[in-house]
Amino acid sequence: MAALKQEEMVGLADKAVNLAQRKGADEAEAYVYQGLTTGVSIERGQINRSSRIIDRGLGVRVIVNKATGFSYTNILESQAAIEETVVKALNFAKASKQDQNWQGLPTKKAFASVEGTYDNRILELDSEDLVKIAATMLDAAEKMDSRVFPIEGGVGASYLCKAIANSNGVEGFDHGTIFECSLETIAKGEGEVTPVCFEFNIERKYDINPEWVGKEAARLAVTALKAKRTETKSINILFTQFALQQLLQYTLINAVKADYVQRNQSAFKDKIGEKVASEIVTIYDDGLFNGGIRTWKFDGEGVPRQKTPIIEKGVLRSFIYDNYTAKKEGKESTGNASRAGYLSTPNVEATNFHIMPTRKSPEELISGLKEGLLVYYLQGAHSSNPASGEFSVVATPAWKIENGEIAYATKGAMLAGNIFQVLTNISELANNDRKIGELVAPWVLVENVKVIGK
Amino acid sequence: MKDILSKTIDVAVEKYGAEYAEVRAQRLVKTMLTLEEERVEAAKQGIENGAALRVLVNGAWGFASVGASDAESLTSAISDACKMAKAVASRLRKPIKLVEADTVEDKVSITPRKDPAEIPIEDKINMTLTMSKVILGYDRRIKSCTVNYLDLTGTNYFMNNEGTYIKQDKLYVWSRLLATAVEQGVFTFSREEIGSTAGHEVFDIETPEIVGERVAKRAVEQLKAKPLKGGTFPAVLGPNVVGVFVHEAFGHLAEADLTLSGSVLLDKLGKKIASNVVTFYDDGSIEGAFGSFKYDDEGVPTRKTLLVKDGVVVGLMHNRETAQKFNAELTGNARAEDFRFEPIIRMRNTFMEPKDHSFEELVEDMKFGYYFKSFRGGQANLDGTFQVGIQEAYKIVNGEVGAPIRNASISGNTLETLLKVDAVGKDFELWPGRCGKGQTAFICDGGPHIRVREVLVGGSA
Repeated sequence: MAALKQEEMVGLADKAVNLAQRKGADEAEAYVYQGLTTGVSIERGQINRSSRIIDRGLGVRVIVNKATGFSYTNILESQAAIEETVVKALNFAKASKQDQNWQGLPTKKAFASVEGTYDNRILELDSEDLVKIAATMLDAAEKMDSRVFPIEGGVGASYLCKAIANSNGVEGFDHGTIFECSLETIAKGEGEVTPVCFEFNIERKYDINPEWVGKEAARLAVTALKAKRTETKSINILFTQFALQQLLQYTLINAVKADYVQRNQSAFKDKIGEKVASEIVTIYDDGLFNGGIRTWKFDGEGVPRQKTPIIEKGVLRSFIYDNYTAKKEGKESTGNASRAGYLSTPNVEATNFHIMPTRKSPEELISGLKEGLLVYYLQGAHSSNPASGEFSVVATPAWKIENGEIAYATKGAMLAGNIFQVLTNISELANNDRKIGELVAPWVLVENVKVIGK
Repeated sequence: MKDILSKTIDVAVEKYGAEYAEVRAQRLVKTMLTLEEERVEAAKQGIENGAALRVLVNGAWGFASVGASDAESLTSAISDACKMAKAVASRLRKPIKLVEADTVEDKVSITPRKDPAEIPIEDKINMTLTMSKVILGYDRRIKSCTVNYLDLTGTNYFMNNEGTYIKQDKLYVWSRLLATAVEQGVFTFSREEIGSTAGHEVFDIETPEIVGERVAKRAVEQLKAKPLKGGTFPAVLGPNVVGVFVHEAFGHLAEADLTLSGSVLLDKLGKKIASNVVTFYDDGSIEGAFGSFKYDDEGVPTRKTLLVKDGVVVGLMHNRETAQKFNAELTGNARAEDFRFEPIIRMRNTFMEPKDHSFEELVEDMKFGYYFKSFRGGQANLDGTFQVGIQEAYKIVNGEVGAPIRNASISGNTLETLLKVDAVGKDFELWPGRCGKGQTAFICDGGPHIRVREVLVGGSA
């Protein structure tokens, strides 16, 4: 199966939109997605497999009398299958219910210009190249310490492209690359196994450091040995980006999505202009972030990506919108419509949710703490209450900080609280920005979080 | 189809010298609905057609997935898979071997009483709208609800180079209802799922009215619930929480790939890890259950697998690779979400066996503790640290279930906690759910009510 070219993808999207209009759609939109991923995997200390996944398809959204139908197919070689997809979307729109709030698909706007999202070198990598990179990472981990066992990991190189067209004249194509490596490790001590430790690099360019990932994954596991239980008390917590991403993904990030706000599921409703976080907190949803994992020229509806202020110096500035939620309030979309390739209709999602760093190094933050907990990973963040922001999670592993130094690993420490309280209790932000999923952030120091121990 | 698959496999074996080759071709149709309050976001349907090709060459795995099922695409994809396996084999320390499996030729047809493919989309829209209306109409404090619906039908063709050829129908129906209630700055959230492999008739039992009311009632009752103080307490766990505990806290550790990766069960086979009243199964053969199927994605028949018997670990869940390593019998736990994924070890319907206690007997001697009735989510770690978030819980005071509490979660070490299970109820419930392990699997979990002498409870008060 040969890869589709730009013209083919755009042509297919145009064709589907035209066909839908000819067959009676009031409005139509077509989204063509193609993803090619080559990967090698590490399992239990050895590189044991390689894979190649080619996934592509067409999703068609049509509106008839303010009711929406959607259909997709991954059979793109057949004219009949494409026609069938368009007809199915139309029939489903006709069977569906009218939505009085529907005010049309997006109109044409100039796309944003983005940087650092495509690297030709990633396309040229084959399994043999990836095996070498995985071997570098694995060797680095194993050389660190004989107690380290790399349990899972891998290297992946992806090429993604998207084309969109709609009946308002929106038409676009964008492509990008993603290159990543990751390693999960545990360490085995005397009668003791650590929780899973994890490191990774993900970049849009050929710019990852497998050796660092291997070493760091191993170092974390070794230092997680000899874990002790902690006491129940409120202390200062230093969250790494891993823990922060897990915590925010189900709470704060949802709270700034316009659909959550409009549907009474956000504690931020009616709070624009109010102080919701400590003064040092500034957050942008930056769809244009240079080299950002979610940086693209346009969003899932063909609206240009943009940089939207969410919180500035602790004050709530804006929510994030797709076309539907924006029009409901007479506003413009912030370019936050996201899609699961060709398989789904758009929904509101953060792009690169950027918590702005400040000047202090992570080491300085640690040395400034008389007592604290350095939390790397969380377990159970997905069971947070998405509406209230309340969480009750386990820190595995975490490290106790005493007198400005990392003293020992802890086990089974639970953290409980409310994310909105956490925001107002942020006292320091480090300078070590990094990308994890939709989050770009430094380490964050939060005062006075409830820890439940033995 | 059989011819195409057979020729594809020949390429792997004859041209590339693969010691093992399999092709899994699928054609799936999915119908989906999302309702936000009474707004039908869109009525959706899609077709997915594709194949997964997996080979062992020189002891290394190669895998290719392609959105096509024609001879040319499959030949090219399996050639890719073989070349990739060779690239990996150069670095291999221990070649991968598979345990022998019986060859099977079979055709598995599903004959649902109510075939979702035959039900008009209008009826599905009306059913989900009823769910929304029941939830929103339950109480004025319910401020929003989301209803998702999915049905999936299709056919799976599996062939390997050992002579197995299986044509197997697939059918899943699933729905999820979410409700939020708000009163004086307190937000509550409630969730329910319905899932079946039998057919649309599941909605005749779990009707929109019954499930809608269940989810709405919980959201409203949680409004008066109070945050709890964290610490170590005795607890009674309901079947829904026992299910997720068995699945998350124990089940994942007993997936043989994770056991080999160093889960705390690795050196516990044949040993006692739980109190005498604890018996666990993973069973793929429960008719109509959300985690059931006849053959797994390596062509191995599913079965009922005993994992823990009277507190002793007696079995793990296997694929052909891990069964070889453990010299164990095949269990039929290799599952792939679809043709985009490789089969990996997954649970099916995982549960605890009921014993003899009534609910009253479990509660009556407890001076102070908690009753955890329904879960919101759960997660486990290889070292045995588990966390289960709770969406419905109550205090137990002097042997009686009392005031509701909110936003609790329970945690601890699986093995320590299993030894503290001191009584097991005689009731039984099985709940459908979805499990993530890099890919999604439809599963069930459940059990009876149980009592645990102590468990770590996280709360913010």
